[in-house]
Amino acid sequence: MKASAETTALQVDDGQLIQGNPTFHTVSESISRIVEVKTTKAWYVLFGFFSSLALMFVVMIGYLFWEGTGIWGLQIPVAWGWAIVNFVFWVGIGHAGTLISAILFLLRQPWRTSINRFAEAMTIFAVICAGTFPGIHVGRVWVAYYMFPLPNQMSMWPNFRSPLLWDVFAVGTYFTVSLLFWYTGLIPDLATLRDRAKSKIRKAVYGAFALGWRGSHRNWQHYELAYLLLAGLATPLVLSVHSVVSFDFAVSNLPGWHTTIFPPYFVAGAIFSGFAMVMTLALIARKVYNVENFITMRHLENMNKIILVTSLMVGYAYSIELFIAWYSGNPFERFAFWNRATGPYAWAYWTMVFCNVVVPQVFWSRRMRRNIPVMFVVSILVNIGMWFERFVIVVSTLANDFLPSSWHYFKPTIFDVGMLIGSFGLFFTLFLLFLRFLPMIAMAEVKAVLPQADPHYYEHHGNGKEASV
Amino acid sequence: MSSIEKKIQKNLQGKEYWRSLEELAETPEFKEFLQREFPEGASELSDAMSRRQFLTLMGASMALAGLMGCRRPVEKIVPYVKAPENVIPGVPKYYATTMPLGLNATGLLVESHEGRPTKIEGNEKHPASLGAAGVFQQASILNLYDPDRSKFVLRQGAQAQWADFVAYWQEQFNQFSQNRGEGLVVLSEAFSSPTLARLRTEFLRRFPRARWVAYEPVSDENIIEGVRVATGRAQLPVYRLDQAEVILSLDSDFLTMEGDSLVNARGFADGRRVQDVNDSMNRLYVVESTYTATGAAADHRMPLQARQIGAFTAALALALEKQGLRIRVADELSQYANHSFDQKWINAVAKDLLRARGRSLVMAGRRQPASVHALVFAINNALGNVGKTVAYVEPVDKLLPNTQDLSAVVEDMKAGRVKTLVMFGGNPVYNAPADLAFGAALKRVEQTIHFSTHVDETSSQVEWHVPQAHFLESWGDARALDGTMSVIQPLIQPLFGAKSDVEFAALLATGQDVRGYDVVRETWKAALGNRNFERKWRRVLHDGIAENTQLTARAPRERSNEIARYLNANPFARDAADKDKLEIVFVASSAVFDGRYANNGWLQELPDPTTKLTWDNALLVSPKTAKELNLASNELVLAEVEGRRMKLPVFVMPGQPDYSVAVALGYGRTHAGRVGNGVGFNTYRLRSSGSPDFALGVNLVRTGERYVLASTQDHWSMEGRPIVRDADLDYYRQHPEFAREMVEHPPLTSLWKEHTYDTGYQWGMTVDLNVCIGCNACVTACQSENNIPIVGKEQVWRGREMHWMRIDRYFQGGELDSPAMVYQPMMCQHCEMAPCEQVCPVAATVHDEEGLNVMVYNRCIGTRYCSNNCPYKVRRFNFFNYTNETPEIVKMAMNPDVTVRFRGVMEKCTFCLQRINEVKIRAKNEGREVRDGEIRTACQQTCPTNAIVFGNINDPESEVSKIKQQNRNYEVLSELNTRPRTSYLAKLRNPNPELVAES
Repeated sequence: MKASAETTALQVDDGQLIQGNPTFHTVSESISRIVEVKTTKAWYVLFGFFSSLALMFVVMIGYLFWEGTGIWGLQIPVAWGWAIVNFVFWVGIGHAGTLISAILFLLRQPWRTSINRFAEAMTIFAVICAGTFPGIHVGRVWVAYYMFPLPNQMSMWPNFRSPLLWDVFAVGTYFTVSLLFWYTGLIPDLATLRDRAKSKIRKAVYGAFALGWRGSHRNWQHYELAYLLLAGLATPLVLSVHSVVSFDFAVSNLPGWHTTIFPPYFVAGAIFSGFAMVMTLALIARKVYNVENFITMRHLENMNKIILVTSLMVGYAYSIELFIAWYSGNPFERFAFWNRATGPYAWAYWTMVFCNVVVPQVFWSRRMRRNIPVMFVVSILVNIGMWFERFVIVVSTLANDFLPSSWHYFKPTIFDVGMLIGSFGLFFTLFLLFLRFLPMIAMAEVKAVLPQADPHYYEHHGNGKEASV
Repeated sequence: MSSIEKKIQKNLQGKEYWRSLEELAETPEFKEFLQREFPEGASELSDAMSRRQFLTLMGASMALAGLMGCRRPVEKIVPYVKAPENVIPGVPKYYATTMPLGLNATGLLVESHEGRPTKIEGNEKHPASLGAAGVFQQASILNLYDPDRSKFVLRQGAQAQWADFVAYWQEQFNQFSQNRGEGLVVLSEAFSSPTLARLRTEFLRRFPRARWVAYEPVSDENIIEGVRVATGRAQLPVYRLDQAEVILSLDSDFLTMEGDSLVNARGFADGRRVQDVNDSMNRLYVVESTYTATGAAADHRMPLQARQIGAFTAALALALEKQGLRIRVADELSQYANHSFDQKWINAVAKDLLRARGRSLVMAGRRQPASVHALVFAINNALGNVGKTVAYVEPVDKLLPNTQDLSAVVEDMKAGRVKTLVMFGGNPVYNAPADLAFGAALKRVEQTIHFSTHVDETSSQVEWHVPQAHFLESWGDARALDGTMSVIQPLIQPLFGAKSDVEFAALLATGQDVRGYDVVRETWKAALGNRNFERKWRRVLHDGIAENTQLTARAPRERSNEIARYLNANPFARDAADKDKLEIVFVASSAVFDGRYANNGWLQELPDPTTKLTWDNALLVSPKTAKELNLASNELVLAEVEGRRMKLPVFVMPGQPDYSVAVALGYGRTHAGRVGNGVGFNTYRLRSSGSPDFALGVNLVRTGERYVLASTQDHWSMEGRPIVRDADLDYYRQHPEFAREMVEHPPLTSLWKEHTYDTGYQWGMTVDLNVCIGCNACVTACQSENNIPIVGKEQVWRGREMHWMRIDRYFQGGELDSPAMVYQPMMCQHCEMAPCEQVCPVAATVHDEEGLNVMVYNRCIGTRYCSNNCPYKVRRFNFFNYTNETPEIVKMAMNPDVTVRFRGVMEKCTFCLQRINEVKIRAKNEGREVRDGEIRTACQQTCPTNAIVFGNINDPESEVSKIKQQNRNYEVLSELNTRPRTSYLAKLRNPNPELVAES
């Protein structure tokens, strides 16, 4: 209870965090109700749409397995294409979730409570989307398990020098920890849902997942400790996963990939895109599910500030890359960056710069930071820009490397496009399921930041009880 | 015999084929066949080439051909009941044979696995090969296994039997015997064969009023006519390029596309090979109407419209005369004194030629008219080159091609004077000049017979079609250009029951259905003499040549008056083509030649040496012309020549002369087969008998339609990177280490202790860029040796060609209208610090202790990371299952020593690991070390210029080690600390100082 108490203590001067002056009961009521009422028609329509896209994704993967990776626009020299772009993009998206839930938790940023649940959910789903791509991207999927260090009769180990192998471990760990973290946080809320459940099935299912939570002091004590530990575990992962992903590029010898700035640059970019995605989702969800009181303008403004900061970081990375390329005196390096900005992929490069560096500058203005249509557009542009950042890094580097004889322009196929769209389908399908069946806002945590959660609340404010005493 | 073949051809699929072979083995015919094929005493021979072995192997090959049909051998596999002598399963045998191509013939050694020919290599003893094989020779193995080859005798399109045709011909034979052959015409391809020549003579003796003429769409016809004008005898030039110090090529692609280019290339390279600063090298001037590999090798190149070459030659003759050389015909050339050519250039060339009198050479190409060749003879003669750098041989046993003969025959056909037309090979309906309207004329002929490998454009319009055998399944013989006789020895029974050339010719000439073997031996009995014939014959079969049969190359006397008269009658064009009146030049395709190789996937996918285009022919337009006419690459234009029109795609090609467009012949086939049908555009439709090589007045109209051309190299500049390093000879003499000095980098250090690779064999390779001519022979040899799949135009366009070895081509120099061109063969460099190995997550590409970077296909999961991290981009990925639809018969062309790769795995050059291991095993069995030069990679073996050397770099005495010590030796991208095992010798150019000072 200690952590909680401290959190609460910090809350005292921050009564504005949750608006509408809810009570514990109204918090439970307004958030649980979302998953308890009859499924709306709109949900079905959306779910039908996105699950069709997800189905298309699955069918395309099937076709990919049947025919081979040639169905994509890949070639020599661009042997990695949209699949890897999508992978890095989705992993990046995931980062905001962990950052919000773990790092902001450790830093005692109580405003995170309203958004951490679905930010975490977003992480899980984004990592699922991300993890799909490297898996299906190999030429012989049926032996993809060679990547894992499984004991075998040939005494053959994977090559521990390869960043791709590090990737397997990094993303695998990240997914596992994120899932555990999310699930641990869900337990008290699942118990709430169990307690409120009216049908037997709901009771059984939520009951099973609530792991017999009773809300006892002992429960809370273990819970808080576990949550703190997991937050501690997840924190380095925020930095490590995208650093390792960036090693896929930085460890290679290609001009444009082989740069030491990549790990921090990738992490900043990941947080940047992740927050933009949380923003997009939050704006829709708070409107649709009437949770504007929980996800308030203050939350949104804070997130916009982070978007602005990370945008500056990313912009700095872009410019320092160019500077170092020039400063290094390495002709290959110089050409690679000059070519990015002026070569055949200049359109992608300038799309990226516009979306990632220019657009977020509107958030210097407080009015813009608090303008919902503006932030919605910005958040979407940022994600477009971040997708292009990965496209520029992956494709333009490969297309023009050392020997000009092998240079070749990458031409995507319908399957490249279809699988990107399909992965969004999968992501939103999972997200819609989450919205439908799980509390999208961490009720227990929100309650903890309500003024009423202060043990001394009633001493100062009083209530009907006190008057009667 | 024929019944056996009928049975064989009935079914080539596993089960039945095998069974029918068993049946065959019991039939009396087969026993007789065996008896006849095994001469008495043959078993006593220990000769590697013995006939007995050969035929036993052929039997086995049939068995294997059947068994190839199943992925998993569900059939019973029967071992040799009586193992043939000297046959070790799995150990290939090599047999000598000869590949005829028009008037040329190349001696070959063919690798045979249990009776199945799989790989072609050059025969060192043969004067037209010298150990090398070109792209057409290398790729011809695939033609043998072409599933679209004709399988049946057809009468009016319906299946018939060879016996039916024999009966039919005997009837015709008797009829024509009565009227001495009136109305009988044989239209064949050019040949150079003692037996065919003998049979033709016999034919004409029997039918004196019949005609037997030859037509070749691409041939040396003009050259022979020019020499005839100049000397009075229709003779063929034989060049000795190694003797030439100064060479001027006038529209002659003598390094790759002219006759005997392998020998030319070797001679040229030998005159150019440099080991140290003190060595000298020849100088090559090229004046040409389209960029060729020869132009790329030039020290000075001048793009010039084909029609202007004659006037240029005249201007050169005048310049030589002015500088004191007496050329007797020059008096007749005064009208060419006024010209628009660069006089300084011409003077410099003339001075250089004069300086090297007797050691210089002027050569003109096939495309140039006889007048140019006659004048070139006069120039060479005046320079004292005739008899030294060029000599002339009689066309003994040759049937020379002649387009006029064809025109005469077509006239007769139209007039109904031809009763029976036998087309012996060739494809005149497709490739005869368009104005002759051969197809229409054919309909006026009563009896038409076509003997050809495919049911092609011509076969589909005739009464009788008879399948023609491939040279690898035929007995025959040939004379090389210098006259050396050799035997065409079959490696396998005709796969589809086709008839060989000599068998068909023998039937034509004698009316008898005889065996090719006997026919050829009959000729050779006359040539070798009856005494000790069998021994000599076996010697010939073994060596691949009959020694001392070359003809004396002479220096004929010049008939100056005749040349002058001819030049006056056929003056050179003095006007240049311009924007409103473009010139079109028809060139033989570097891939499909005149169209005969259209169904060969290796050749279709072979990038053109200069344009790097595959699977297409395009109209090559100079950048300036394209700009003025507002044309761009990949668009279709409507080209109109003399009223004949067709759509053609445009390809803007630097170095193409302005206002002259070039286009390759041989594409747009409709009956080539599954590979060649509909590939490219049939430009024969624009070609007329009056101007078959180039024509003036082509009109180009934009259509606005797009057409995708698939090129293997999109970027043409080296971007100033020191990839191909080159220098002028003088610069090299002042800076011997220039190649290594071109890159400066900090010391290359490693974080850890590196493997030293200092014990045992350590394999390495060198490529001498100074003699590499970019001819693609190595690329095809590699494809054949390593079972490299073809992927098709769409995949090439996507950038997925599978060639393990590619020839990078870069343009150099500022001017877009005439840039220099350099080549660099690029394949796995076998880096000691291989970047690919570091990043493979499953360790599927690793280093072996002999320094080879090896691919473990079984382990590869296809992440493609290795390719991304390869700075040379030499790795190739199986994006699809490219070998899935390989027809069963084509699988017979596969090298059994090399894995056929499945989809999803990466592959790349192995340094021919299978060859290394084969020799290592042999050496180990014999208890010795591998000798230097004993292992030859496929690319090295076939290289006409010996540019590639492979060996043990751990042995300081090996050739490769010594070459790596040369001062021009450098490694590409060594600044990345990859430490490649393949190194290059920097290219040198030997420009004329007078012309250098000017620019």
